[in-house]
Amino acid sequence: MRVSLPVSVLGALFAIVLMADVVHAQMPATFIVESPTMRTGEMMPRNYSPDGRNVSPPLSWRGLPDGTREIVVICQDHGAGRPPPWVHWLIYNIPGDATGLPEGIPFDPADPMPSNVMGAAQGNNGWGLAMYRGPAPPGTSLHHYHFAVFALDIELGLPPGMTRDEVLEAMDGHVIGEGSMVPIYSRQPAGRDTIPGGALRRSGSDR
Amino acid sequence: MTDERRKKDAITRRDLLKAAGAAGAAAMIPASLDGAPVEAIRPVASAVTAMSNAPLMNLTARETEILAAMIDRLIPSDELGPGALDAGALGFIDRLLSEAGSTSVDAYRSGLAALDRYSEYTRGGRFVELSERDQDSALIDLQTGGAGGAGADFVGSSGGFFNMVKSHTWQATFGDPHYGGNVDFIGWDLIDYPGVRMRVSDEDQRLLDAEQLEPVRRSAYDYAMFGTGRPRGPDLDGEG
Amino acid sequence: MPRQVRPADVVIIGMGAAGGVAALPLAEAGLSVVGLEAGTWLDQRDFAPDEIRNNYRDWPFLVKKVEDERPTSRATSATNANRVGGSPMMNAVGGTAVHYWAQSWRLNPWDFKVASETVRRYGFSRLPAGTTVEDWPLDYEELEPHYDAVERAIGVSGNAGNVRGNIDLKGNKFEGPRDREYPMPALRWTGFLERMADSARSLGWHPFAGPAAINSERYDGRAACAYHGFCNKGGCPVNAKNSPLISTIPKALETGNLKVVTQAHVTTIEVDREGRTTGVNYVVGTEEYFQPARVVLVAGYTYENSRLLLLSKSNAYPDGLSNNAGQVGRHYMSHHQGGAVGALFPFDLKAWYGLPAQGVAIDDFADDNFDHSDLAFIGGGNLWAMSDRRPISAASMSTYGRGRNWGSGWKRFIHENSDRSHGAYIQKTTLPYEDNYLDLDPTYTDRLGLPVIRITAQYKENELRAASYMQDKMEEWYRAAGAVEITRSGLGNTMGITTHAYGGTRMGNDPEMNVLDRWGFSHEAPNLGVLGASVMGTSGARNPTLTAQALAWRTATHLVEAWRDIAE
Repeated sequence: MRVSLPVSVLGALFAIVLMADVVHAQMPATFIVESPTMRTGEMMPRNYSPDGRNVSPPLSWRGLPDGTREIVVICQDHGAGRPPPWVHWLIYNIPGDATGLPEGIPFDPADPMPSNVMGAAQGNNGWGLAMYRGPAPPGTSLHHYHFAVFALDIELGLPPGMTRDEVLEAMDGHVIGEGSMVPIYSRQPAGRDTIPGGALRRSGSDR
Repeated sequence: MTDERRKKDAITRRDLLKAAGAAGAAAMIPASLDGAPVEAIRPVASAVTAMSNAPLMNLTARETEILAAMIDRLIPSDELGPGALDAGALGFIDRLLSEAGSTSVDAYRSGLAALDRYSEYTRGGRFVELSERDQDSALIDLQTGGAGGAGADFVGSSGGFFNMVKSHTWQATFGDPHYGGNVDFIGWDLIDYPGVRMRVSDEDQRLLDAEQLEPVRRSAYDYAMFGTGRPRGPDLDGEG
Repeated sequence: MPRQVRPADVVIIGMGAAGGVAALPLAEAGLSVVGLEAGTWLDQRDFAPDEIRNNYRDWPFLVKKVEDERPTSRATSATNANRVGGSPMMNAVGGTAVHYWAQSWRLNPWDFKVASETVRRYGFSRLPAGTTVEDWPLDYEELEPHYDAVERAIGVSGNAGNVRGNIDLKGNKFEGPRDREYPMPALRWTGFLERMADSARSLGWHPFAGPAAINSERYDGRAACAYHGFCNKGGCPVNAKNSPLISTIPKALETGNLKVVTQAHVTTIEVDREGRTTGVNYVVGTEEYFQPARVVLVAGYTYENSRLLLLSKSNAYPDGLSNNAGQVGRHYMSHHQGGAVGALFPFDLKAWYGLPAQGVAIDDFADDNFDHSDLAFIGGGNLWAMSDRRPISAASMSTYGRGRNWGSGWKRFIHENSDRSHGAYIQKTTLPYEDNYLDLDPTYTDRLGLPVIRITAQYKENELRAASYMQDKMEEWYRAAGAVEITRSGLGNTMGITTHAYGGTRMGNDPEMNVLDRWGFSHEAPNLGVLGASVMGTSGARNPTLTAQALAWRTATHLVEAWRDIAE
């Protein structure tokens, strides 16, 4: 079932869903979350999915409130999981002065975090793996992937491998700002690569 | 080296086959030297390892190559010690395929071909050409089932193929050496399994509890009572 | 035209745990007995400690008969049934008891009187909705001498908790009174099991070693358990695991009154015009035979017991033998033993040379041993911490959310943790219900074209609540013992094929609600008896085998005593 909603409605829906996740002491400030290769409401490049290299996408943010000590990023699909949401990525302990995440955060614990996000740790996604795993919606269905970024007023000091519920519980009462973006994804039938920016092209296909 | 010395050091195809019996690999001796003595190229132990990348009897050279690369990522050889390939996983699987029949062989062939197609489509190269990280990433996607529907056309889910190879690789590495794997007890040493013994006395258990029990390196079938290693079948009738 | 063979006094269909035990008192009494067994003879030489063969290549299933006729299952009659999974049963002389875990428990007195005890203590409204549970037509006290006889005939090791009212905490303080000690003391404990017992005591519980049909010392000319570690789905190479194959059947053969026919596939049971059984049809290869007998005892395990009756239609029994009251297949139960709990410890458990029957048991939360006034279920479960580990399964352990289960990082994980995981299955009280039953599947058939059994059954609220409660208790126990990670399996829905299947040919005094009378003989066909857990009306919170064997012993000894009334 294809669901296409205007961005403003998506944003509002997302904010409502987000509020259900986290209880705040006061209304948190909203900030901008962007990506050089993704936009809310538009198809994600397939390199961020198992149809490509399945690397984590780059994110950037600005306008975080003063006093941000730690940043947490959660990527969820509210149209999957029993019950929803399905967690695609959970990364926390990001330094409060970081301005974003580069593409391709390491998934092997032996590889170091990039220097500007040194100390960041990944929690367990829906597959129980402490890494980013991108969209794989069934058939050609279209899903929304909510990248939520939280600014916290303390450092949680959590070890790697936490679950979403554990991280949300630890965050409770410490979220002073949040932002998000919601790109979409659906899989193409084999042989048709129609996503601009996809790094791999099968020979003979357009674009 | 004199001809005399050469003959003494020579290893025939039969010798290599016997040595590789556990690994089950076909000889890598060129057909033209079939039956004739071959100069020893390296000691037998590493000949077995070297032959672990020789084509299997049930898979082509290309299929074997992909399978070897996949197994090498599942249980790699690293600073902690040897991995599944060293433990003889390829030979174990080859022997299993010889005994199991055509549906299992087909499952391997179609899965390995799909893995190559998947690697090409998603990561720009055949599986063996990918970096180790990309190989791992591709295998993670196979395991989660994310690789299904990405132009790879796995028969059923990609997870089914992954789990089959993983299960066989684990049996190969940690199972009784009788089946061709767990060479030199590589697998049992990795998990500190103290070995197959027919009797574990109270004193043995006490030693085990105190971490003083010496490992026994034997196959179950080194114990004479188990004979050929095959249970007698229904054709044995023991009417009372 | 089937070839008629020499008539016997008694024909027993199946020489497994129940049939193999019943053969002894019958043969010793001088009756001529023919045991028809679909499997073959195996012996020690067949039982190599080989995990690949035992646990990955399903070696026990050399004979495919049971695999061929494995049942289908569905939760309710709203859907079609499917074949999900293989059968854990084995065809062989001695049956699945040749490789089973050999835990060998008596039921507790409460299990025989669940209905009346629940009403007495908590009121009628506490009986779960839809249950068809009745008190058994005999109580624990009446079965006690038969438990004793079987424990001695096959060899069961254990520590008594209640000998004629004297409580001994080395054993189970909650058990029904026994006349005397077990024939052998319980199997030993490892250091880790001692730790689990100490942790249980620290919680105020009463741990004891579980009983097993496994020699803890030399018994009856057979060796003691060697603790080699391959007992789980493995036959015993030293003949310490006491299946009928090495205990009651050889003794019965010695009398000269037992003949075992192997590879015999029984198809139907014949009756005469009056509805009395006359013998059994069976096939060996492609040859058909008819075994005439004065008494037929059906002992083919729970599914086959109902199936044979349903397949044996006649004028006297148009809906299947002994099924005029429509009770064959009714009151079916798959024991609730799922909802397992797993634990990761920060130290090695030294579990390489253990066996599933070697363990610490807790009965504090079984049956009605605790107050249910403020709880929403009746019955409970037995907690069991065993010692069982083999290399491939150890290397396949969960990573407890600590990473990928393959690769270099995993190698480091497994090198450290291969001996640190533990898993507990928990057996709970399971009751019969109106809409949980067995019948013949309308679609699937075996190799001979005969319909297989269809299981229509699901776990009910009562069992699921008890299961959840027991998971909490197991977690509490693990944490008290130092576990750092806990996992829980789902509580289950559809009752599928299981090693602990009960009912379908229930024993009870009321012929409208039960297939068999209080002795195990059909209410409708007086010279037809049934052996096995299919006769049981409640499951108890422990393994069924010893109880099925004690009932079989009792049915056989009654047959000897009442021969004229039953057979003639």
